[in-house]
Amino acid sequence: MEILIYGTVNSMALALMALGFALVYGISRVPNFAHGAIYVVSGFLTWTFLRVVGLNYFLSAVLAILVTGLIGALLYQFVLIRVRGMAISEIIASYAIGLAILEGLRWGGFRGMTYSLPVFVEDMVIIAGVPIDFHRLLLIAIGVAVIAVLWAFTHFTRLGLALRGMAQDERAALMLGIDSDRMALIATALGSMLAGLAAIVLLPLGNIVVEAGYNVLIMAIAVCIVGGLGSWMGAVLAAFLIGFAQILTVVYLGSHYQIVVALLAIIFTLILRPSGLFGRQKELEERV
Amino acid sequence: MRKAFTLFIPVVLLTFLFSAVPCAFSQKPIIIGAPLSTAFLYGWGAQRGMVLAVEEINAQGGVDVAGKKQPLKVEVIDTRDLEPGVPVSEALMAVEKLILEKKADFIIGGPVRSEAALAAMDLLAKYKKVSILTTGVLTPRYHARVAEEYDRLKYCFRIHGEAGQLVKEIMACFKEIQEEHGLNKVFIMVQDVAHARGGGEVLGKVAAGQGWTVTGTEIYPTGTTDFSMGLLKARRTEAQILNIWMDMPESSILLKQWYELQIPALPFGSTLAAAEQPGFWKATEGKGEYTLCNVVNAGNAPSEATPWTMKFYDAYTKRWNIEPEGLGCSSSYMAVYVLKEAIERAGSLDSDKVVQAMEKTDMMGVYGRLRFDPKTHQVIPALEPDEGAVGSILQWQDGKRVVVFPKSIATGPIQLPPWMKK
Repeated sequence: MEILIYGTVNSMALALMALGFALVYGISRVPNFAHGAIYVVSGFLTWTFLRVVGLNYFLSAVLAILVTGLIGALLYQFVLIRVRGMAISEIIASYAIGLAILEGLRWGGFRGMTYSLPVFVEDMVIIAGVPIDFHRLLLIAIGVAVIAVLWAFTHFTRLGLALRGMAQDERAALMLGIDSDRMALIATALGSMLAGLAAIVLLPLGNIVVEAGYNVLIMAIAVCIVGGLGSWMGAVLAAFLIGFAQILTVVYLGSHYQIVVALLAIIFTLILRPSGLFGRQKELEERV
Repeated sequence: MRKAFTLFIPVVLLTFLFSAVPCAFSQKPIIIGAPLSTAFLYGWGAQRGMVLAVEEINAQGGVDVAGKKQPLKVEVIDTRDLEPGVPVSEALMAVEKLILEKKADFIIGGPVRSEAALAAMDLLAKYKKVSILTTGVLTPRYHARVAEEYDRLKYCFRIHGEAGQLVKEIMACFKEIQEEHGLNKVFIMVQDVAHARGGGEVLGKVAAGQGWTVTGTEIYPTGTTDFSMGLLKARRTEAQILNIWMDMPESSILLKQWYELQIPALPFGSTLAAAEQPGFWKATEGKGEYTLCNVVNAGNAPSEATPWTMKFYDAYTKRWNIEPEGLGCSSSYMAVYVLKEAIERAGSLDSDKVVQAMEKTDMMGVYGRLRFDPKTHQVIPALEPDEGAVGSILQWQDGKRVVVFPKSIATGPIQLPPWMKK
């Protein structure tokens, strides 16, 4: 039961971390390596609105998500748009921006363990003999809600259908009058907002530290590679695979090996099926 | 004419200012190189302790080197060795840069990570630089190496406690907890770094030998942010004490999760940098209450260990607008005074002469009587301040850091969280 409950929590946390990255790549084909930095920025923004400005928690979270969305849009409009289509340049540019943000925060004094966000609900419950706090239960609920909303958005709204169209075939989408740059900008903004939301849900379980940006990026990449770059449903499935594998590793081998699971997952996926579980990119090349 | 007059006044003032400076500052300063991981408590605390001591000594005229007063100057380089993924070579480059570029006469402080400090010993031997470790490095291998290769490594000293001594203090504290609260099962949680792995292993063996049941050991990579499964393991195995060896800031997350899951085991940090700091209460929103942690030396938390303890504590608080936060503060402060005395006794900056003088150190400091073992160059520990360097274990109680061990300097008893009381 412990494995089931905490495996689900861990998987949902990984899914939240990775969804934004998967969304941006799936639509714009730009790997946003500033994803982890945006996650951390969202945490610090919420902290600032809550602790410094004195807004209530909900408003602070909403504002932080909106600002991270704006950061994502600006990142695309002023940096990524110029290098879009040049894979190496995309990686270098986005990683450099992420690095500058994270190290800038560290330089600016955002270090140590004094920055933290309160949990949403301060209580715990015992389910089948396993104690779990309400915040983790809320994390599962929010994760499910995000996946459902994302699915509905991409299936039933005009903008969502346009984004899907572009994800499926950019040239065909262009012929149908969909502005690919505008869609990529929206996707980057949405991906950043998802990173921001993930931070607000996950950071109350710990502290806001700059190093989290690097960890989140690694986990997002691992999930997306296993799930298949470009497939956000694949990312969700991969999050569950890695999430449960990590918990099983902790239970049967030890916490020490937890991080190895994600890294091994990347290596094995790249060796056995480079396109991932649901990735279509290079699938044809692989078959050839 | 008016323009010339306005220029004349500053020139006169500057001339007066320079002529009025005490003659000590016309002498070449003695450079103290400080390789420290400055983004972490064990780095910035050490830097602040050192700077405070240097300012105090310089205000009194500096160091008397064979009749000539010389001021002290601290040069700090960030080694980043406490950060996850930063290779040891970074710290070694920092030490070498301090020696070659900054022309450090002595090294005080780090490197802070045991692995880096062990590797730096050969550099210090190569350049014959007297070094006093003041923070972070707890591995017993450090002073063991000095004893094994004395002639080559005699320049290396350590003025704070090491893992072996820490384990002795912790076991003595465990015994008190056992007697007062009837606890006898311990679960060990360790960060994957040399001093913590070693410390946890030794504590496990010693505890088992003294009748404690060790219900499990978990090792976490540096930077871990989720400890829930380990905590549940501790709960499942009915552990009553969580013995934590972690210097990463993320360890405060462990304490938050411990509170949120209401784990019925008393958290006891052998090294627990996060809980040492006054900011811990705010960082955990009070959820870290009842956490015990070893700040290694007295003076890093308020107590009356010696007449100098609170004098230092207050001076540090006044200078930095924050109390001494943990390991590295009082020891780095004292290291500068110990070095000053050794230089004055040696009457020279020559490394070999200073080593000889350092071996004869015997002074009452912030955390008790300070002497070095002449064979290992490790500061001699004790449970009584009159006999040697005393440690300090504190517990968070109602937002305050209360020293609970050793009894000779304790300011309150150990308390259990409400969900552990029968």
